[in-house]
Amino acid sequence: MLLFGCASAYKNLQPASADVSRLLAFKPAYTVALYKAKIDVLDNYLSGLLLIKRMPDSSLRLVFSNEIGVQFFDFEFSSEGVFKVHSAIKQLDRKAVITTLRKDFELVLMEGINPARVTTQTRDGLIFYSFPQAKGYYRYVTNRAGDTLVRMERSTKRTPVMQAIMQEYTNGVPDSIGITHHRFKFNIGLKILPR
Amino acid sequence: MLKLIIIAGIVCFANSVWAQYAGFTPITDISSFSSAFTAASQKTSTIKSDFVQEKELSMLSEKIVSKGKCWFKKNNLVRMEYTHPFQYLMIINNDKVYIKEGQKEITVSARSNKLFQQVNKIMMDCMQGTALSNPDFKTRVFENKTSYLVELIPVASGIKTLFKNIKVLVDKRDYAANSIEMQELSGDHTIIRFVNRELNSNLQDALFTIR
Repeated sequence: MLLFGCASAYKNLQPASADVSRLLAFKPAYTVALYKAKIDVLDNYLSGLLLIKRMPDSSLRLVFSNEIGVQFFDFEFSSEGVFKVHSAIKQLDRKAVITTLRKDFELVLMEGINPARVTTQTRDGLIFYSFPQAKGYYRYVTNRAGDTLVRMERSTKRTPVMQAIMQEYTNGVPDSIGITHHRFKFNIGLKILPR
Repeated sequence: MLKLIIIAGIVCFANSVWAQYAGFTPITDISSFSSAFTAASQKTSTIKSDFVQEKELSMLSEKIVSKGKCWFKKNNLVRMEYTHPFQYLMIINNDKVYIKEGQKEITVSARSNKLFQQVNKIMMDCMQGTALSNPDFKTRVFENKTSYLVELIPVASGIKTLFKNIKVLVDKRDYAANSIEMQELSGDHTIIRFVNRELNSNLQDALFTIR
């Protein structure tokens, strides 16, 4: 049992050739989208609205507020990959929280990946696209045909620390996004709203 | 020279106050307004209203619009039900807050959550006519032909980090709040406009029951 627990989740991956442009087709093509957001973090539950907008300078802004309109955070991913916190309420404005949110959204929005550094591998009929980061990896898993994004992961060399899914794209924008952390209770659910 | 500077200063100050809310002039006798506001509010035991909420994100040039219904009953009972573009129910029953969203239901103590406590108090104050006596705010009152504009500037440390000011537009005919506007430090603001208001209709307590 102990041995099983220590086994790498990425054991037996075999090198494979795969076209990274097939993966990048899943990158959300936002102009502007509004999501209903639900966040379970430890013993707390937060809900609200997440607005995602591509700005004229190509940066991507994420603004999360509660239903009554009180803003929780305003983040920016610049077109050069620079992350900026425009605002965050005191309860969220902690390095560990901000870093976790940055990495989670970076993975899901495919903002922090360099296609030139990708490693492609295969196992069980799946293609794994791995992008090394300063710490760990961003991994994207598609089916063999490359027409389904099965899941996304932030991981160490051996273990996923967070997994995410994006489903039901309409005009390049996912209808649902789910994020689940494995090391502590922190789940984010996003469902697109009509505007 | 000194006189000129002082006069110029007074003119600039007056202009800045007047320019702040176009069409409104400041009220000097706040105590008589406060008495009339409180007296009128004492005659109101229930309010039923539709609302339209607009959050304007200035830097993003975006507006988020949501709609719903709200009910208020003395003392300290509020029910807000968002119906578009999402379903979300919030009941404030004294110091408890109940939230229902899809299958998720939670009840929290307003006291354990400062944000709820503050929003709760602002809503109650606006509806009960006690907004002017809330020590968490510094107050100024303006008027035009049809409305009073009550400006609440936070002085308490918690709420100061959330809002630059809160403006309540009060109808001169019945002293009921037509809108509540929350101005955030970022420059973004949210305005909740109350429409189709009914005062003193019979509201069952069950509307505010928290199980």
